[in-house]
Amino acid sequence: MPIVIEKPVTPSSGDQYREAADLISSYGHAMDDGEIDLWPQFFTPNGIYHITTKENHEAGLPIGIMRCVGRGMMIDRVKAFHTANIFEPHTYNHIVGYPTLSCDQTTGWVTARSNFQIVRIMETGRMDLFATGKYLDVIQEEGGSLKFMERIVVLDSRNVDILLVVPL
Amino acid sequence: MLTTPQPSSAPGKPALFSWPAEGIARAPYRLFTDPEIYKLEQERIFRGRSWNFLCLDVDILKASDYRTTTIGETPVIVARDHDGKVHAMVNRCAHKGALVCLKKQDNVASLTCVYHAWNYGLDGQLKGVAFRNGLRGQGGMPSDFDVAKHRLQPIRTENFCGMIFGTFSEEVENVETYLGPEMAQFIKRNLGRPLRVLGTHSQTIHNNWKLYAENLRDSYHATLLHTFYTTFKVNRLDMDGGIILSDEKWHHLSFARRAKLQEAAEYSEAKVHSANYESALDGPELLHAWEEFDDGITHSIQTVFPNMCIQFTLNSLAIRFFAPKGVDKTELFWIYLGYDRDTEEQSQRRIMQSNLTGAAGLVSLEDGCINEFVQRGTRNDPECASFMEMGGRVAESEKNSRATETAVRGFWQGYRSIMGF
Repeated sequence: MPIVIEKPVTPSSGDQYREAADLISSYGHAMDDGEIDLWPQFFTPNGIYHITTKENHEAGLPIGIMRCVGRGMMIDRVKAFHTANIFEPHTYNHIVGYPTLSCDQTTGWVTARSNFQIVRIMETGRMDLFATGKYLDVIQEEGGSLKFMERIVVLDSRNVDILLVVPL
Repeated sequence: MLTTPQPSSAPGKPALFSWPAEGIARAPYRLFTDPEIYKLEQERIFRGRSWNFLCLDVDILKASDYRTTTIGETPVIVARDHDGKVHAMVNRCAHKGALVCLKKQDNVASLTCVYHAWNYGLDGQLKGVAFRNGLRGQGGMPSDFDVAKHRLQPIRTENFCGMIFGTFSEEVENVETYLGPEMAQFIKRNLGRPLRVLGTHSQTIHNNWKLYAENLRDSYHATLLHTFYTTFKVNRLDMDGGIILSDEKWHHLSFARRAKLQEAAEYSEAKVHSANYESALDGPELLHAWEEFDDGITHSIQTVFPNMCIQFTLNSLAIRFFAPKGVDKTELFWIYLGYDRDTEEQSQRRIMQSNLTGAAGLVSLEDGCINEFVQRGTRNDPECASFMEMGGRVAESEKNSRATETAVRGFWQGYRSIMGF
């Protein structure tokens, strides 16, 4: 008979950290697989997604490159991607480093920082290093799974090549 | 390849290049790809009789602040001296020509070239030369060396509405005259009070700088390419609005009023792709706006020749500055602004609406690639030309319609005049 170990009522921080790291990597995989429709579901209903530059972030300036407050604005971004915006088709490949994680014992929120490099692949076959930077995340449990309450994408460079339409 | 005129020659038509007989309703594709024309533009436009946007006054607010930028491709320093006076100069050491300032901005007591430590005041005057008298009596500069005869090349500057402009020309009139009364008045409306920078970024677009200059003046494309507007009924050609050109036609102001928004039959009949959308936003707070001015104008784009523009999209105020980086590459800078007097709520609305423009702008992001499509489509046929007769063949203000290319023709009229083409 195998020994069944009962699951603890409150998950250990180890479990939570693993789940948070899973969330971070599945996000990148979904984006790379063209699952942009899933994108808003990675966030809590009032979640914040903000792409900015290191320069703005360090100067405390509020305007960056993209800002969504709440899933509604993310859904509009997805809709615009499908029906309104015009651009040359391309895909991403995310390489995301293992996150540094910490947990707030009172709220249960996990904060995470991970570095990323994103290669952009154009239909012509051209591949370019499109973005490097760090994700600054606040992660919370919602409906049995972890979601981003906040994902701040801090780009190392001030400069975006051509345009940015697919979330990073 | 056209032949370059002698350096001493006055502006004149370079050999082998002649503008088509149809005039400003045509722009030969060679203008976007010929390195010789690009070189001439540096001389005749950027180092000629034009005022160039350098930075904002608030970018160098404190004494000893400096910023670096470019006029055309010439590297430039803008600095505020210890007495608060603003100076601009070429960022090039008077000794060997190395860049003196490498950072985007800093606060320094003086400017020192890293190569041989030549030291300049914030006004560009040479103050000290390392080992001028040699070492232990050996070497050193000749006895007739005079520090007063060497300095960073000065650039004339002027502050207009919190923007610092620079020119290499001694002859060009002051900025306000250069803009003309109608252009100057609208800039005062938009920028004539203390400004606050809310954020910046830049975008590399793979096209000649003039394609973006055209694009900004092209009110015809606005609702056809940028379909987010029509999708969510933010802006339509049927909105009340028009185009005003400056006297030389090279600056323009395009404006729209929101009040008379209505469905235009031409859109549904033509079945253009701009009309095929639902009109609801899931995040409507994106467009929560307030009326800042009592003239009813809710959208405006205003260009200043050669390479800047001021946008006021609902409450999103920004300066766009596009710096040529070679014949087929341009860096487009976005400087998002608010006013010192803004309430927290007003700032929040400007922040939300910043999503409309910029490198990821819901409304504007297509401009990042569309000019490149023209660059790629035209580069092998320099002898062919674009066709621009929407709204006529001349460049005149058009106060009742924005379905026109009049401001694009205006750009070419000004361009031909300053280039001598």
